[in-house]
Amino acid sequence: MKNRQSNVGRRALFGLALFLLASAGARAFEDSEGCLVCHKYPRMGRITEDGVLRSYYIQPQVYGKTVHRNVPCRDCHTEIKELPHKPVKVGVTCNTECHSIKNPATGKPFSHKPIYDVYRASIHGRDKLATGLDADKPYCVTCHTNPLYNPAENEPPKQIVARCVICHEDKDFVTRWYNHTSRRIREVRRTPGEIVALCSTCHDDRKMVARHVQAAKADGRALGRKFAYAVDSYYESFHGKMTRYGFTAAANCLDCHADAANYFKGVHEIRPSRDPASPVHADQRLRTCQRCHTSADENYARLDPHPTSLRADNPFRYYAEWIYNVIGAVVITGLVGLALFETYRRRRDGVAWLLRHGSSWRRKSRRGRDRIK
Amino acid sequence: MKLSKPARDVLETSLRQNRIDARERKEIEALIALLPADRVLFYKNVVSNPLGDLYRYSIHIRIQHMLIFVTFLTLAFTGLPIHFFDSFWAGPLNALLGGVSVTRIIHRTIAVIMILAMAYHVLTLTLGTLARLKAGTFDLRRTIVPLPKDIRDFKEDLLYFSGKRGQRPEMDKFNYKQKIHYFAAGFGNTVMVVSGSTFLFPELWAAMLPAGMVAHWQELMRLSHPHEALLALLVIAFWHWYNVHLAPGRFPMQWTFLTGKITREHQIEEHFLEYLRNLVEQPQERQALLGMLESRELAGGPPADEGVP
Repeated sequence: MKNRQSNVGRRALFGLALFLLASAGARAFEDSEGCLVCHKYPRMGRITEDGVLRSYYIQPQVYGKTVHRNVPCRDCHTEIKELPHKPVKVGVTCNTECHSIKNPATGKPFSHKPIYDVYRASIHGRDKLATGLDADKPYCVTCHTNPLYNPAENEPPKQIVARCVICHEDKDFVTRWYNHTSRRIREVRRTPGEIVALCSTCHDDRKMVARHVQAAKADGRALGRKFAYAVDSYYESFHGKMTRYGFTAAANCLDCHADAANYFKGVHEIRPSRDPASPVHADQRLRTCQRCHTSADENYARLDPHPTSLRADNPFRYYAEWIYNVIGAVVITGLVGLALFETYRRRRDGVAWLLRHGSSWRRKSRRGRDRIK
Repeated sequence: MKLSKPARDVLETSLRQNRIDARERKEIEALIALLPADRVLFYKNVVSNPLGDLYRYSIHIRIQHMLIFVTFLTLAFTGLPIHFFDSFWAGPLNALLGGVSVTRIIHRTIAVIMILAMAYHVLTLTLGTLARLKAGTFDLRRTIVPLPKDIRDFKEDLLYFSGKRGQRPEMDKFNYKQKIHYFAAGFGNTVMVVSGSTFLFPELWAAMLPAGMVAHWQELMRLSHPHEALLALLVIAFWHWYNVHLAPGRFPMQWTFLTGKITREHQIEEHFLEYLRNLVEQPQERQALLGMLESRELAGGPPADEGVP
C-alpha cells in the first residue's frame, strides 16, 4: 500500500517535471514593455468603421511561437510612445528597423527594408495604407501569412541538442537556433499548385481584373497582353494542366515571371512583361524558356505559354477552333444521320427477319428453315 | 442473271488474271446465268457460316486491326483525362491509372506501339501490292483506293435506302463506307502522331519550321490533337460500331476481324463484285452455291425490278 502511494507521488512529480520541460520549449515572450497589461484580455478589440471586428488580444504563448517572438512590441509598433497609447494610424509596416534585434552579419539593426524596397519597386509594390487601384495589390502579409504551425519547427533531434549544448550551454537557444535555420534550409516554399493558387487569388478575381483593365484603358496605359485572362490561359497550357495535377516539374507563375538569378529576391521584384528587365520580356523570353527547355531556340520562344481561343487574343486559333467545331459537328451528324437513315429505311429488308435469322448469332446459320421471298 | 457492265468488267479481269481456261469459264458463265437477278432474294437465302465463309483479311491485317483497336482505346482512355483535366471524372480516372505522371507515360508508350502498327500496315500494303503486281493479279478496284464508282455507289445506296431503287449497288471488296472510314482513320492517326510529336518535341518542331509559322503551328496542333481524338472516338462509337454490330444483318457482331472471313450472305449483299471473284477463284464455292441454288429453287427467276421495290 505504501509502495503504491509513493509510486503515485513519484508519478506526479515526474508529470510535473515533464510539463515544466514541455512548457519551457514554447516559452512566452518577456513582456518588458507591459503591453499585456491590457492586451491579455480576450475582449480587447473594436469594430471598425467598415463593421469589421478587429481583435487586439495577444496570447503570449502563441506569439512566443511565431517568427517574431524575439522582437519587442514597440520595435514594430513604433507609433506607441506612452501608455495608454493613442489610436494607431498606420500601424506596423514591414520596412521598419528593429532596434532590439541586430543583424548578426552586419551588426546593424535588423530590418526587412532591403527586400521591402525591392518589392516596392516592383509592379506589385504599394504602401501599407494604399487607396484606389493600389489597394488591390498585395502587401507583405498577403503572401507571408506566417503560419503558426510549421512541421519544420518541431523539437530538434536529441543528438543535435546534446551536441550543441556542450558549447552553447542554453538548450532554449539551441532549440530556437535550430528551428530558425532548419526552417530556412529546408524547402518551405509553396508548392507549384499553391503558388498558382496564391497568384490566382488576385489575378483570377474577375472584378478586380476588370477594374484594372478599365482603368488602364481610361488612362491609356499599357497592360500585359494576357493580363485579363492570365490564369485561364495558363490552365489551357500544358504547364497549367500538369501543375493542376500536382506535377512539380512544369512551370508555375514564378518560374517564368520571377527573375531566376535569385529566386527569393526575384519573386519580390515581378515586373510587367513590357519592362525590359522582366524575364518574360520579348528580349529575355528565350533565356527564360531555356532554363527548362534547354534546346529551345528563338523560334521556340515565340510559342504562347498562355494560349486562348479568344478572338481578341488569338484570331487564328479562334477561327481554327470554329472550323474544327463545324467539321466535327458536320461529320458526326452526317455519319449518325446516315446510320439512322439506313436503319430506318432498311425496315423493308426485314430487320426483324435479319435479327431472327441473322447469320452471326450462332455457329450454325439459321437460314436453313424457310425460303424468303 | 445478266451482269451489269462494271460486274462484267470485274469478272473478265478476274478470269484473265486467274488464267481460267475455256471449260472452266463456261462453267462459271453457266453458274452466273443461274443466279437470281434479285440479289435481296439471293443473299437472304444462301446458307452462311456466321464465323465466315469467304477469305477477306490476311492474318497481318487482323493483327494490325487488333493493335489499333487496343492502342486506340487505351490512348483515348489515357488521353481524355489529360485533356479534360478539370472535369469531375478526370481526377479519379488519372488516380486509377496511378496519377497524371503515369497516365502520360502510358499514353506515350501506347502511342509508340500505335505508330509501329501503322508502319507494319504500310509495309503489309506495300509488299502485298508488289507481290500482286508481280503475279499479275493486281486489280485497283479490289483495293481501298477511292474510285469514281464509289460516288455512284453512295448515290445508289441512298436511293435504295430511300426506297427509289430495288437493289443495293453492286459494290466491290471495299465499299464507299469502308473507304471513308479507312481514310478517316488513316488521316486521323497521322494527325494524332504529328500533333502528338509537337507536344513531345516542341523544340524540334520550332527549330524546323519558319519563324512566322511556329506559333500558329503549335496552336493548330494543340487544337488538332484533342479535336481529332474526340472526333475519332465519336466516329468509332457511332459509326464503326454501328456498321459492324448494329447495322441490319450484322447484329450482334461480325467475326471477320478475328476469323478473317466474311459470311457468304454479307459478301453477296454488300460486296457482290468480290463475290464474283470468289466464284472465279474458288471452284468449291461454285459447287456449294450450285447446291444452294438448286435446293432453294433460286436458279433463274424473273429479272429484278431495279426501279420500284
